[in-house]
Amino acid sequence: MSDFIARRPVWSLVIIIAIGILAWLVFSVWTPGMEAMMGRKRVFLSALFNGITLGALYFLVASGFTLIFGLMRNVNLAHGSLYLFGGYVGYSIGTLTGSWLVALVAAFVIVAIVGVLMQVLLFRWMEGQDLRQTLVTIGLSIVFADLLLWNYGGDTFQVTTPDWLSGPVQLPFVVALRGNGDAVMMTYPFVRIAILIGAIVLGVAMWLALNRTRVGMLVRAGVDDRDMLSATGVRVQLVFVMVFAFGAGLAGLAGVVGGTFQSLQPGEDTKILLSSLVVVIVGGMGSIPGAAVGALIVGLAEQFGSVYMPTYAVMLTFVIMVAVLAVRPQGLAAARR
Amino acid sequence: MSLVAATAGSVSSVPGRDALASASSANALELRGVSRLFGALAALSDVTLSVRPGERRGVLGSNGAGKTTLFNCITGDFAPSSGIIRFFGEDVTAFPPQERIRRGLRRTYQISSLFAGLSVLDNVYLACRGVSRNRFSLLRPRRDDTLVHAAENLVEAVHLAPVKDRLVGELAYGQQRQLEIALALSGAPRFILFDEPAAGLSPTERRDLVHILTSLPAHIGFIIIEHDMDVALRVVESVTMMHNGRIFKEGAPADIESDPEVQELYLGGGHG
Amino acid sequence: MAVIDTRTTGYRPPATEGLSAWVARRGAAFWVVSVLLLVMPVLASPFWLVQILAYSLILGMVALSLMFLAGYGGIVSLVQMTVAGFAAYLVAILGDSAIAQISLKWPWWMAAPVAILVATLFGTLSGALSVRTEGIYTIMITLAIGSAFYYLTLQNYTIFNGFSGFNGVMPPVFLGVDWGDTIPFYCLTLVLAALAYAVVLYVSRAPFGLALQGTRDNSRRMAALGFDVMAHRVAAYTFASAIAATAGVLLVWYQRQVSPGTAGVGPVVDIVIIAVVGGLTRPIGPFVGALVYVVLRTFSLDMLEGLGLDGRRYQLVIGLGFLIIVLFSPDGLVGIWQRLRERYRRSQDGRATQMRIGGGEP
Repeated sequence: MSDFIARRPVWSLVIIIAIGILAWLVFSVWTPGMEAMMGRKRVFLSALFNGITLGALYFLVASGFTLIFGLMRNVNLAHGSLYLFGGYVGYSIGTLTGSWLVALVAAFVIVAIVGVLMQVLLFRWMEGQDLRQTLVTIGLSIVFADLLLWNYGGDTFQVTTPDWLSGPVQLPFVVALRGNGDAVMMTYPFVRIAILIGAIVLGVAMWLALNRTRVGMLVRAGVDDRDMLSATGVRVQLVFVMVFAFGAGLAGLAGVVGGTFQSLQPGEDTKILLSSLVVVIVGGMGSIPGAAVGALIVGLAEQFGSVYMPTYAVMLTFVIMVAVLAVRPQGLAAARR
Repeated sequence: MSLVAATAGSVSSVPGRDALASASSANALELRGVSRLFGALAALSDVTLSVRPGERRGVLGSNGAGKTTLFNCITGDFAPSSGIIRFFGEDVTAFPPQERIRRGLRRTYQISSLFAGLSVLDNVYLACRGVSRNRFSLLRPRRDDTLVHAAENLVEAVHLAPVKDRLVGELAYGQQRQLEIALALSGAPRFILFDEPAAGLSPTERRDLVHILTSLPAHIGFIIIEHDMDVALRVVESVTMMHNGRIFKEGAPADIESDPEVQELYLGGGHG
Repeated sequence: MAVIDTRTTGYRPPATEGLSAWVARRGAAFWVVSVLLLVMPVLASPFWLVQILAYSLILGMVALSLMFLAGYGGIVSLVQMTVAGFAAYLVAILGDSAIAQISLKWPWWMAAPVAILVATLFGTLSGALSVRTEGIYTIMITLAIGSAFYYLTLQNYTIFNGFSGFNGVMPPVFLGVDWGDTIPFYCLTLVLAALAYAVVLYVSRAPFGLALQGTRDNSRRMAALGFDVMAHRVAAYTFASAIAATAGVLLVWYQRQVSPGTAGVGPVVDIVIIAVVGGLTRPIGPFVGALVYVVLRTFSLDMLEGLGLDGRRYQLVIGLGFLIIVLFSPDGLVGIWQRLRERYRRSQDGRATQMRIGGGEP
């Protein structure tokens, strides 16, 4: 980070000032004047936290997508289907066993296995044919979507939040002052906070795995230069299968998470895929920190957009994407090639 | 059709005779303090060299000495990390490749870089088109079009007329190398960079190559990277030796060949 | 990024080939198809003429626009259907429709050309956004642009009338002919589609098209020959978008309505499927793919139930069919046809050689 500040002093200053303003908005008590201008603080805080927790969900999905692309140059357009499949499977297992955790783990494992099958049965025979692989993922997504529709129908499902995660929790942010001067503190669903913490933990774990382990080093080397990876003598196909399985598993896990605080229905696969596309375009392909930055930006943009400019919420996300493409096409967090 | 005639007349955007005259005092190619870093690796370090118009220069050195990186910097595939590049007196350091090519620079590649899905004639026609106007033309050329004629003449000059309508992907290796040369001779080149043109050629083909290189019109200068000493030393008037990204010796071919330091570092166990 | 192997036979006609030479080279298949298309109005029912053939020609044009970029330029752009949808919307907005409070009621000879122009501009800008990134990103970026357009049309009511879209968009009455009638509409579509096909074929061997193919095969070398690769790619988007926009005008006249679903993610992906299944290497591919798609879609219910399967599993059939083509014949149906023709020709040559030698059977 220190060399980021050294190389880009102006942008660093802008970011620091922006964070400062944000901190002030969050921690201070809003005067009636401020509320008249910007609406109620409760609304602002809720949009902020919804945006951050939505960003956590997007990070889970997009990081798998970006890993698969970064290493294997495979734009996996079936990623949304894996998400929805994981969600449905998690729902079924959750209702069967009554345990949310079991559903979460089972979804990860089952979808990871599907990922292994996809890589071993299909993609390994198309090494280097990037476009062909992507076309196959399009075909798979259509097949998966119809199979899921056939099995689960057109209803909307929601994964029940387990008891130990439900209920509101109080956060140390003042929403307003009561007439007698007592502070009203913000309350927020515990499950969303838990998911945010989980995503952060997972993100840090992935970063550590990529940067501190031997396998991670191989993956990073492969992202930079695939030919070099095979030159090291390592079993490249094994690394590919592992990465695809992990990425797919993440999507499945994200499906259960999304099913918990959003919902599952036909069409969710396309929506989450499109959001992931914007996240990785903004953040930069093949980069986990990029996926985090992009997910945060997209999550916040969507939530603030839907609260403050409901008709054009989607356009805000799109405008951000266009701006990034115009100014820094390789993404915000990617190294300049 | 001789090479001189084939490379002389084409519609091109090369500056007119007056500009050439005033620039004749300038070097064809000039590099000052050019360095190129890839992360921590210095592929080129403080390279300074000049080549006069019409001069025939050889750049020699072992693998990894930085010769191809030098060419990539000159053509503009990437910008140098520092330093200035001048082409006929003009500072082209910040120019994209197509701007340098339109000013008369050409290059061949060590591994044939051709258009596999197009015919031989198409390839040469594109090369002629690239340096002329109307690149975006939606109209097909007529049978008497000058550029088509120029392309056909060039194809003949490199002895590829029998296969001019064949797909490049189906040519023999030696024929592909000839096509590489033809692409570099299209339009009205003023200076050419040849990157290991003899690589993989049979002895007969190498003799042909030497003949082509020595019969180029006198105003066209070139730099040739080559491992084959027989080819290189027969076509150049001066040699630049590189080692570890730096220039370490320059001189006439005979002097370089007999220089003890060069022998130790490079010519080592005999040349060839 | 190489898309599909574009090498077919070893011979390429020179760029200076004249029309008569080209006509002489046409095989039997070309003449049979051309004659059939011309006499169709006499042979076929209105349903077959419009719902199957005209609709196939329109979708084929949009897919042709994709094929031009992908096959000749190595650019896989998913924005073509969005361009067509945008043109369709513009005809409804600028011209006359049942949504009187939005439509500007311009005459068709103003509304249609302006719609094509603006939609082409949109396509060009989309192209400009995607050409500066690596090839594989183009799919993602164009898909994202397409989905943004879908949500815009869905949520905006002031211009795009949201969920309901526009209905009552009628084809014009011109020169005493109602071009919405069965035979005139078929003829209009046939002429425009044939024109698009011919222009693509012609331009593919013009300097512009050759240069585009050069950027597909080896963009680094193109720059080293003096070409501005980015500019060529953006210009290719402009050319392709003009074709897609024209198809969009025909589409809204065919459907007499336009709604967000016209250019949703489903139709966008359908166009890719059509282009790939038909074949990305020859301009006839998209039209073949479109015909197969339209026939399947129209008769899938009957076909599936006839086989004893669930009639609603149409998407499954499309998805599996697409997968089979991508896995086993990446250059699509046109590729299969070409390979069969090659094999036939080789066996003919083999037999001819045998007869000359005097040892084989007649």
